[in-house]
Amino acid sequence: MSDDGANLVRRRVLTAVTSAVGAVGAVGVAVPFVGSWNPSERAKAAGAPVEVNIGRIEPGQMVTFEWRGKPIYVVRRTQKVLADLAKMEPLLRDPSSEKSVQPDYVDPKFRSQKDEYLVLLGLCTHLGCAPGYQPKVGSVQISGGEWLGGFFCKCHGSKFDLAGRVLQGVPAPINLEVPPHKYLSDSVILIGVDQEA
Amino acid sequence: MNGLLSWIDARLPVVRAWDTHMGKYYAPKNFNFWYFFGVLSILVLVNQLLTGIFLTMHYEPSVEGAFASVEYIMRDVPYGWLLRYMHSTGASAFFVVVYLHMFRGLMYGSYKAPRELVWIFGMLIYLVLMAEAFMGYVLPWGQMSYWGAQVIVNLFGAIPVVGEELVQWIRGDYLISGATLSRFFALHVVAMPIVLLGLVVMHILALHEVGSNNPDGIDIKKNKDENGIPKDGVPFHPFYTVHDLVGITVFLFVFCAIIFFAPEMGGYFLEFANFELANGLKTPEHIAPVWYFTPFYAILRAVTIDIGPLNSKFLGFVAMGAAIAVLFVLPWLDRSPVRSMRYKGWFSRIAMIAFAAVFVILGYLGVKESTPGRTILSQVCSVLYFAYFIGMPFWTSREKCQTVPERVQQKGLSKALVFGGLALFAVLVVVPIKAVAAGGAACGAVPCEHFHADFEDKASLQRGAQTFVNYCMGCHSIQYSRYGRVADDLDIPRDVMREQLIFGDEKIGELMVSSMDPAKSKAWFGATPPDLSLVARSRNPDWLLTYFLTFYKDESRPTGVNNKVFPNVGMPHVLLELQGLQECAPGPKYDDHGHVIRNAVGELGEIDPCGSLAVGDIKGTMSPSEYRAAMVDLVNFIEYVGEPIASKRQSIGVYVLLFLLLLFVCVWFLNREYWRDIH
Repeated sequence: MSDDGANLVRRRVLTAVTSAVGAVGAVGVAVPFVGSWNPSERAKAAGAPVEVNIGRIEPGQMVTFEWRGKPIYVVRRTQKVLADLAKMEPLLRDPSSEKSVQPDYVDPKFRSQKDEYLVLLGLCTHLGCAPGYQPKVGSVQISGGEWLGGFFCKCHGSKFDLAGRVLQGVPAPINLEVPPHKYLSDSVILIGVDQEA
Repeated sequence: MNGLLSWIDARLPVVRAWDTHMGKYYAPKNFNFWYFFGVLSILVLVNQLLTGIFLTMHYEPSVEGAFASVEYIMRDVPYGWLLRYMHSTGASAFFVVVYLHMFRGLMYGSYKAPRELVWIFGMLIYLVLMAEAFMGYVLPWGQMSYWGAQVIVNLFGAIPVVGEELVQWIRGDYLISGATLSRFFALHVVAMPIVLLGLVVMHILALHEVGSNNPDGIDIKKNKDENGIPKDGVPFHPFYTVHDLVGITVFLFVFCAIIFFAPEMGGYFLEFANFELANGLKTPEHIAPVWYFTPFYAILRAVTIDIGPLNSKFLGFVAMGAAIAVLFVLPWLDRSPVRSMRYKGWFSRIAMIAFAAVFVILGYLGVKESTPGRTILSQVCSVLYFAYFIGMPFWTSREKCQTVPERVQQKGLSKALVFGGLALFAVLVVVPIKAVAAGGAACGAVPCEHFHADFEDKASLQRGAQTFVNYCMGCHSIQYSRYGRVADDLDIPRDVMREQLIFGDEKIGELMVSSMDPAKSKAWFGATPPDLSLVARSRNPDWLLTYFLTFYKDESRPTGVNNKVFPNVGMPHVLLELQGLQECAPGPKYDDHGHVIRNAVGELGEIDPCGSLAVGDIKGTMSPSEYRAAMVDLVNFIEYVGEPIASKRQSIGVYVLLFLLLLFVCVWFLNREYWRDIH
């Protein structure tokens, strides 16, 4: 029982080959364990796209819907609000939504498919609180201009205009997100599914 | 790297620990395959811990949620089915390897001085393992979980005076309930595993202190070379690590074959009745513990006599306890001067084989329902079981042993002796079992229709789904199944599914619950129509097909029909418009097992006025053969719904087994390379 006669090269090669095959096996074993943390079919069913009727929203009103347990804000904007959006641009951090998250079928300035209806994920891009809807002119104090309506997050004071675009000098880094959504008809949208081209 | 190691080693003795247990732990070089089962139990323990941790992430320990959460794991959690089968198969595998590990100890005298503590720690592990397995089996909250818990917990009621109070305290209620379930859950996932791990550490520390025994039962520390290293020893690492890899790979091959191709193992690893939700008002027709408890269960049942003031219930409990307890004192019962069976006398050898046979027979009897013949056999075997231990001090101190050689031998007993022993064992097991065998048929008093599931035949599954939705789902749900999953698995486009197979306003991702109000249906039919998600797993598909084919006219029933395999069933013949109404016609008489009764010369005996069925005045839209084909499709669908992953499970299994073959080739050559100069 001594190692004198042992063929060390062969031992090393065989150990390397076995280790390599064993490593593949270990990865295979990890698959079910790691995979089981993905959303289950129940979570997927609960997070399925939701159909919402936006036809009955009054001009100027905001309605909150739920998708995947998160608030979805839908605002029906008046012509005046739409016209005022351009006035806010000098105060904004990312007025053309270059760094922000939205589907590419959404206008980068109005941040909507149809100008009238703004669809937003109602979670602040700072740390995830739900910003409040503050449509009244002057209802929120801002430096360097006048508040023309928008969203104000009470948690850490982030401010967004009525296109969900973030103002300068607040902690939120980017504009409010626009979720994937699709118009099934003029008054019904499906949240969670992209609009086809 | 070396700097870091010495920094740590100065503070924590990692190098010393490695040397003590691996690098400089000298194990006898003559281990045979029986020595794989120790490392295999560690492997299975790790498997149980890992899969168990992941199962608790999805399991819900409540009466309302437990059963559904297990089906949620089986169907909705990605790879949940695999984790669950790894855990359930692992439980049985644990006992397989532990029993073989214990038998190894029995054969080679590994319990004898100085290894008494190793044996006792091992027995404690076995005891805790039984408690752990029992509590784990309660968690899915099926019928066997419930009634198994009922029977085992009630055992403690046999203890005089405090028994009833004790049972109530264990249950935390007046019945097995949510309180029992949640305490068993806590013990199963937290307390018992900690105790188990602690005991395993003690078992190994005690072993490594005194050194491993070997098939010759020789103390290798008596023959050391000039460096103080046993001449018959090899360092555990690398020699036994590469050696054990071979055993591990072979074990994994069998283990995975079961997981992927027979996870129920014919009802032994996952009992059929446990696919039915616990029901405290209805005991399953046949209840038996899982196979690994059955030897002791058979001893419990074998006690049918009262002795003086002690009743049979108490004595049965005592006998069962004693059967386990006596194993603890084994080191002091064996008075032989030698350890291994290789050098013990003839009487010891035959007694050990007979004991193993008795243990297996008791295990068999514990699975089967009792008959007078089986009761007698179990009594004989129980007596022999105890006789083995009681007699051991006498024959071991008297019999003539052979001289033990100085050094370990590579060859064991001659092939003739080993195979002769094996043959003796087989005969001792098979003959008594044959003598008390009694076949039962799955379909009761009628012969079963034979059914073969075919999940590749999507057209059949689609037709079956259509029939199911049209005729069954008005009353029955398949509440663990989702519309979308069924559509995808059966190649039904989702919009077609939505239009043709979803009648309400349910969404495609939702569960397939029935629209019927359970309270109303109970009033109409006398019983709520059961959920059918798992009916193919709790009852077999042959039974289902036979059931669908044997409705017949019976004016005495409120529904006007009766059924051959399910007498007095509450369900009306909903398929009547397809089949028509069968009526009784003369035919052969069947015995209780579905065999035609014939007289001594093979002629048909009595004629039963309802021995066969034929469609009478009320005709259906289908011919008998069309109807049968439709029912085959329906059963195929119900079988699919029972385990939607089944066909994918098998195809994954093929790749897993092929991979293990490749791994086997690698470890085989690796092991051969290391061991070729060791003789």
